[in-house]
Amino acid sequence: MTRYILKRTLILIATLWIVVTATFFLMQVLPGTPYNNPKLSADTIAQLNATYGLDKPVLVQYWDYLINLLHGDLGTSFQYQNQFVSMLIGQRLPISAQLGLQALVVGVLAGLWFGAVSAKNQNKKADGILGVLSTLGISTPSFILAIVLLFVFGYNLGWLPVSGWGDSFSQTILPTLALAVTPAAITTRFVRSEMIDVLHSDYIQLARAKGIGEGQVIQKHAYRNSMIPILTLIGPMTANLLTGSTLVENIFSIPGIGQQFVSSIPTKDYPVIMGTTIVYALMLMVMILITDILTAIVDPRVRLD
Amino acid sequence: MSQPILTVKNLAVSFETYAGTIKAIRGVDFELFSGETLAIVGESGSGKSVTTRTLLGLNAKNATVEEGSQILLGDDNLASYQEKNWDQVRGSKIAMVFQDPMTSLDPTMTIKNQIAEPMIKHLGYKEKEAADATLELMKEVGIPNAEKHLNDYPHQWSGGMRQRAVIAIALAAEPDILIADEPTTALDVTIQAQILNVLKAQQKKRNMSVIFITHDLGVVADVADRVAVMYAGKIVEKGTVNEIFYNPKHPYTWGLLSSMPTTSTAIGSLHAIPGTPPDLLYPPKGDAFANRNAYALQIDHEKQPPFFKVSATHEAATWLLDERAPKVTPPAEIVKRQSYWQEHFVKEG
Repeated sequence: MTRYILKRTLILIATLWIVVTATFFLMQVLPGTPYNNPKLSADTIAQLNATYGLDKPVLVQYWDYLINLLHGDLGTSFQYQNQFVSMLIGQRLPISAQLGLQALVVGVLAGLWFGAVSAKNQNKKADGILGVLSTLGISTPSFILAIVLLFVFGYNLGWLPVSGWGDSFSQTILPTLALAVTPAAITTRFVRSEMIDVLHSDYIQLARAKGIGEGQVIQKHAYRNSMIPILTLIGPMTANLLTGSTLVENIFSIPGIGQQFVSSIPTKDYPVIMGTTIVYALMLMVMILITDILTAIVDPRVRLD
Repeated sequence: MSQPILTVKNLAVSFETYAGTIKAIRGVDFELFSGETLAIVGESGSGKSVTTRTLLGLNAKNATVEEGSQILLGDDNLASYQEKNWDQVRGSKIAMVFQDPMTSLDPTMTIKNQIAEPMIKHLGYKEKEAADATLELMKEVGIPNAEKHLNDYPHQWSGGMRQRAVIAIALAAEPDILIADEPTTALDVTIQAQILNVLKAQQKKRNMSVIFITHDLGVVADVADRVAVMYAGKIVEKGTVNEIFYNPKHPYTWGLLSSMPTTSTAIGSLHAIPGTPPDLLYPPKGDAFANRNAYALQIDHEKQPPFFKVSATHEAATWLLDERAPKVTPPAEIVKRQSYWQEHFVKEG
């Protein structure tokens, strides 16, 4: 196990290096410069370039960035008054992560529940209704849902605040719901088909033939087996949610990392683009690693070494 | 023979589907006596498996056991059981060995725990007792070095070993009746014989009654005391194994016997029964086999034949046995085979 985790960590670092390299050079290809203000004089620009090391050859910049990165230094933002990128991320990531975690818990729990109900009532009315709803949920982008929720519950009914963050918990409800619908719908469909497969499997037939009661059959045999594939779905979903949704954060004026990521691109805030990309890639890889370890714990057929 | 331990009377099972009601079992009667092996043979779709699944209440949700069906086990009529009643029967009175050992075991639970489950439930064993009994049972069904394999999961075992584990699970709560649903079909031939030997040995030791579902007549000759031949949801002929092999009366039984592969070239080519079984959405009026039957009489197409007694233990449902029917002898194929069997296999008893 330890060996495996070590090996995976090395692979993770190598992958991260590839991501860093690819992002760094792709960024260089982007047209434009960080200096959009036409009032800046050529002298000022040259001075700024020297300050940020942008006057050096690209390869030297790349090398410097790698060295700094190894020292844990993500650089300073161009856009936000020379703030450290690590500080910017440190301030904004927890906001996105809280929102994402709330959405994940709501979405996955709802998905597990709806999926189980759907599977239990296969081809009956409840299954049909949930089938339509989950298809709608998967195909509706979260920002459209966000606007609908905002309009209905925030504006028309006035039950919940329409924007902001950090003043009250009620501010988090609408964005959480907007973000939770897609994972809920995906989980519902997945759980439904997994449960149906497992409940029709030979080993469940055999377990029933033991006379241990349907409750035991489901608890001891069906759940564990249908959870295995669902784990592989939830891992990447978690990374995706924790790193924030640009559009939903924008709609509800939430100062999360997603919003920052998007605004850093048109302003060519190179260190911020790099920093957020690295954080996102790292999160995704760590979540996949955790998923793999969990799968090996739950499923004896999976061997880690 | 003594009183039967299980009596099935007029069993009818139908399935509701989008296309309509499929009458899968259309009135099946048989008895099972203590310690005997009854083989139920027939081609795919003849209703063998549905019959035995009904004995355990394990049919799919869209299945209905028709009014008037009786499955008498002691004083109980299992045909009228609700879901909550079944758990006292399953495992402890009637247990089942499934067809495919590769998919029949829970992949995420140790084999040991899967064997112990019925003991804990039905025999009231505590963990320690169950663990000891499990090890004992694993040895009995022929798992080598069982002590070393206590924490194994199914994927670590071969198909033959897994089928031994499935048998151990079925035996765990000491059932009176064991249903073996094609237990060797998914295994290769060398393993088949071993598994049949395990089943025979355990049956003898425990004085269990066995219902053996198969379409392999070679296996029937090996394990069965009595045989029931099923076709299109009905039993068409039943008798002792010798009566079925050496004095078959129903043309369908003739067809089955002559499509049995043999290693002897003297017997000639392999036969197949022409045509296909009837669609049980629209069960035929007369004998369901009439359309594929070269010996069919006019009445076979019109009226369901009753059972005609051939001997105290042998009966067949074909109008050919009516005294007014023309005398027909079994096809030459069968006669050739019978003399071959007589030469090569001596059936004990």
